[in-house]
Order: sequence, then C-alpha cells, then structure tokens
Amino acid sequence: MLAVEVDAKGDLAEALGHPPVGFRPVVVQRNLSVIALHPEDSFQEYLAIFFKIPRFTRLTPLAGVFDFVATGVPGPRDMLMVGKIAHEERRRETDRRPVWDLIVVDATSSGEILPQLTAARSMRRLVRGGMLGSQLDFVDAMVTNHRKTALCITALAEEMPVAEALELHDEVVEHTEIGLGPCFLNRTLASVSSPRQRRLVELLADAAHAQAAAQVLGDGVEGLVAGVRLADALNRSGQPFARRLAARMSVPVVAVPLVAARPGLATTRAVAASMEGEG
Amino acid sequence: MSRPLAGPDTPGLAALVGGLEVVVCCGSGGVGKTTLSAALAAAIAATSDRRVMVLTIDPARRLATALGMSGIGADPVTVPAARLREAGLPLRGELVAAMLDQKSVWDRMVERHSPNRQVARRILNNRFYQGISDAFVGSHEYAAMEALYELHEESEYDCLVVDTPPSRSALDFLEAPERISDFVGARLLSWLARPSRLGFHAMNLAAAPLLHIADRLLGSELLGELGDFVADLQTLYGGVQQRARAVSRLLRSSRVGFVVVTTLEPAAFAEAEHFVAKLEELSMPLRAVVVNRVLPGFLTDEAAIRAAEVLADHRGAQALGRVLDVAVDPVAAASLGRSHRLLSELAQRDARQLTRLARFVDVPTIQVPLITAPVSDLEGLVRVAAAL
Repeated sequence: MLAVEVDAKGDLAEALGHPPVGFRPVVVQRNLSVIALHPEDSFQEYLAIFFKIPRFTRLTPLAGVFDFVATGVPGPRDMLMVGKIAHEERRRETDRRPVWDLIVVDATSSGEILPQLTAARSMRRLVRGGMLGSQLDFVDAMVTNHRKTALCITALAEEMPVAEALELHDEVVEHTEIGLGPCFLNRTLASVSSPRQRRLVELLADAAHAQAAAQVLGDGVEGLVAGVRLADALNRSGQPFARRLAARMSVPVVAVPLVAARPGLATTRAVAASMEGEG
Repeated sequence: MSRPLAGPDTPGLAALVGGLEVVVCCGSGGVGKTTLSAALAAAIAATSDRRVMVLTIDPARRLATALGMSGIGADPVTVPAARLREAGLPLRGELVAAMLDQKSVWDRMVERHSPNRQVARRILNNRFYQGISDAFVGSHEYAAMEALYELHEESEYDCLVVDTPPSRSALDFLEAPERISDFVGARLLSWLARPSRLGFHAMNLAAAPLLHIADRLLGSELLGELGDFVADLQTLYGGVQQRARAVSRLLRSSRVGFVVVTTLEPAAFAEAEHFVAKLEELSMPLRAVVVNRVLPGFLTDEAAIRAAEVLADHRGAQALGRVLDVAVDPVAAASLGRSHRLLSELAQRDARQLTRLARFVDVPTIQVPLITAPVSDLEGLVRVAAAL
C-alpha cells in the first residue's frame, strides 16, 4: 500500500512513525510505503521518462520551465501531482501484478481538490494534439473510474467545515464523474447526555451529595463535573452540523473520535482502530 | 527570546494594533481567522473613534449575514452601530465590512497596467487569462494584497483589518506580489512570446529545445495561441513590477502590523511557528499572536483528573453507588470519566504548547478562550471581541 502526501510537509510519514520522506517511496511499516510529492520532482521524472532528459539543476534553462509549470498556469501544476499518482497506479511488477494494491492520498484542501482532480479534463479542452493528449486521457480515465478511485471528503462538526464539505459533495455529484467514498467526520466527541449519564452528573453536582462523593472521588468532584459539562456542551454544539452533514451526504458518514495524543503512530493506530470498529 | 504570556495587565489586541493603518491577520485554515479578524475590527471601532474596515475572504454564511454582507463582490457595508450596541458593543468609531472580489481585482490590474484598451480587452477575453486569474498559485493571495493596497491608497478608512486567504501554503500571500511580478516577467514566457512574433527560426538557440518539448507536448496550435497571450501579458510587466514593489514596501512599513492567529492543535500550531519565522525572515512586522479556542485551566486540575480516573474504573463506580446509595451504571460512569480525561489531556497539551509559544515569540500573546456556541451572529462576534 502507498500513502501519498501532496504538500510535502512530512506530516504523513511522521503519523506513520517515520521521519519525513521524499519523492521515492519509502517502506515505513509492513506493506505500507509513503511518498511525498513535489511538482519539481514530478516534472523532472516526467522529462526523464518521456524525453530522456537527465535531472537538471536550478541553474539550467529547464529550471525556468519548472518555474513556469509549477507556479504558472494551474492545470500543469495539478497535472504533475495527479499524473504522478496515475503513474504509480500504472506501475507493475515483473510478473505484471500491480506494485500497489491501494494508494491513499492525503490530498489538498476541499477548496482546491476539484481543480486538481479535474485538471486532466480541463487541460484536454485546451490540448487537442501532441503526446500530452493521450496522457491526459489516461489520467482522466483513472480519476473518473469508480472502481479505481474514490474521493473521501473529511469534515469537522463545525459550521464552515460542514458547509465546505457539502459544497464539495454537491459539486462532485453534479458536475464531475468522480466517485465518492465514505465521508469522515473527524474529531468527534462521545456523547455524555444519555439519561443515566445526565442523572449521574446531577448527583455529583448536587451539594447534598458532595461529601459522600468526595469519599470516593476525592476533592476534585467540582472540577470533574465542570469538565464533563464542557464535553457535553462541545458535543451538543457540533451535533446540528453533524446531523446536517449526515442528512445531505449521499454516502455514509463515518465518525472518527477525537484523540488527544500527539500526532504519531500511536494516534494513527488509535484512529485506525476506531475505524475498524465502525466496520 | 521569550516573553510571558498575556496577563491581566497586558493591553488587549485592539489596543496593541488599533493605531496602525493596516492589520493583516494570518494563520492556517480552520483556526477561526475570519471570525477573529471581524471581531478585532469591531474591537478597534469600539475602543477608538477610527473608521475601520474589515476585508474578509470567505466568512461563514451566517457571520456574513450578521455583518450585513450578502454575497461575494458585494460593496462595502457599514455594520449598523445600533445593532452592535444591542449586541453589547457600543462603537466609538465606525465598522465597515467587505468581501474580496478576486476577479474584479485582477481585471482592474490588467486595465491599469495595459498599454492601451485594445491589449487590455484581448487579455481579459483570453481563455488562458480566465484560468490564471481564477487559479494561479497565489492569485487569491495576490488579489488580497492588491485589494489591501488599493484600499490603503484610497485613504477612506483609518484602519484596514485584512483576513488572509486559506492558502495551500498559508504563507503564499506574503510573497504574492513578488511572485506575480516574477511570473509576468519570467524568461520562459519571453521565449514563448517570441515565436509568435519572430517565428521559430529567429529565436534564441537556448530556447529551441524547450520549445521543441513544448511543441511535442502541447501541439503547435496551442503553443502559438499561448505565445500570443504571453506577448500581451508581458506588456503589463513594468506596471506590475512597480506595483509589487509598492505593496512589498507597504507590508514592511511601520504602519502595518501582522497578527498570527492559531489554535493549539499541533498542525495549526506548527504552521504558526513557520509563520512567525517567515515574517521575521521577510522583515514584516509581527505585532501579536492570537491563540484561539484555549481550553479552560480547570481541566488540568489534578484532583479532578484523579476523580475522573476513579470514575472511569468500574470499582470506583460501584463504590460511588454505595456511598450515594443509588445504582450507578458503571458504563455511564466510565464514559464520563473518559470524557473528562480526554479534555484534560487536551488542556495539558495546550499548556505545553503555550509554554513553547512563549519561548519562540517576543510579541504579546493573546488567548481567546474556547466558546462552545458557534460564532454566527453579532452577539457571538461581540463575545470574541471582548476577549480581544
């Protein structure tokens, strides 16, 4: 399996217990490799494969080409990212088996993902001839093949993230042929407002029971109650947005619990375990 | 260098930056930057008799409605003083809100710097231009900086509070003026522009292999069209370069202040650290760091943490049931204990991050406590403004 980071910040490798990686896939766990994409590396590899041009330095005229491609018109820049992923998807072992069974991309933000995923089709409208045409067709076919590619939208139970997630969802459904996978509602807090939970909080908050409760819980009962009430308030404030997301999404919404640990392998495992539990 | 975090004697953010002509609020996406920008502008208008404009990028719909803005590109609107007074914030000055209209900023730039109307029209109608102005890396950032400069030059407002765009790299906007200037004047673009005017044979030999690649990749028809567009685009270079320098000078002047907004969540916090370092590297004046959504200190109370641990254990729940003489559901008790533990762990992480922050910034740090209700009306905005 290959995990792909597109902004090359190193967070993805670190979340999998490994120092930041570069443009070559690095095995970080059993059956799991990570690669960090960068448009310049992608462009160099592209030129090497299709034009047999060796790696160039920043001083050569080709560096100017890179500057144009990577910071200029957005289509080529996005194509370099998606094109590299398509290239990895196409790679085969000597016995013709795919090199990767699954590629998971930690993609760009919801406001920028569609221009990236539709870059091939957008550029195809401009590029009628040239060898790029067939390459664009290949990338577009991969992105729009529902058996191969799914876009998983991730949101938080807050107003703006949910609004953006729904906007992206509607845009994908109405204006593209891209398939959607499950939506992830991240950093959810467990509800603490069942009748039994509420009754217990009321008992602990009741001054008449303070002395008895302190015999078992010590003198932190007041702080405990305040913390639980805050957790309840936070949970409640997110609920309308979580409900709105679930009601409007055409795909299942998977709640992923908030984990307090520092980012790293332990946190990743805790989140993964919660997803396994979701079935 | 380190400085203690803001205490009761530290002046509020509005007092720290309210005397400036431009306040740029920056930080990664999702930290509440837009809300804080609006709240800061309101706080400045409340504590001074200045005319303050907040230029927002993409506010939450209900907040936009609360500020009186109905859509992107809307004209600046004055937030009614009576409405703010009702919400608990009497103004001494005036508060105006506007949203960035990226397209019109770009169009004005083309019109301003084109040598004549004909060239401007050709560029504005070109299909490549549509793509560049919509999605050029940094186009949103450039538009924000250009709009800021235009508004500053017009001198209609005493203070401009600018909410920066949620960038792929949140730092893009700092270098947007230089980047756009470099893009328009790029040497490669000159090479692309030449064939359309002089023909392929007359061009620089160094460019020939590049154009050969471009020709194979794109096809000669598209390449020719691109060349024509680039030739027009390069007529803007002198003006764009001059403007970029002026924006750059403004951003480094003492009339401007940057406020980095962050939460204590690890990814946002790491971005804030980069921001602070980048501002220093670019000699742009950082005035304050605002830490949003800080969890209350009572969550780190050790006695409460111990109580939560006891409650999370079924034996603790049973013992509690005995002393209270009621049936305590151990599952419900454990979930309450775990909920407290989760928040206390987050609060402890926050405390560590705040200590770290004090070590790497030498400007005041303003903490805005977590508000559990969404800030979607003027009352909510006023609550945040009060913290500033």
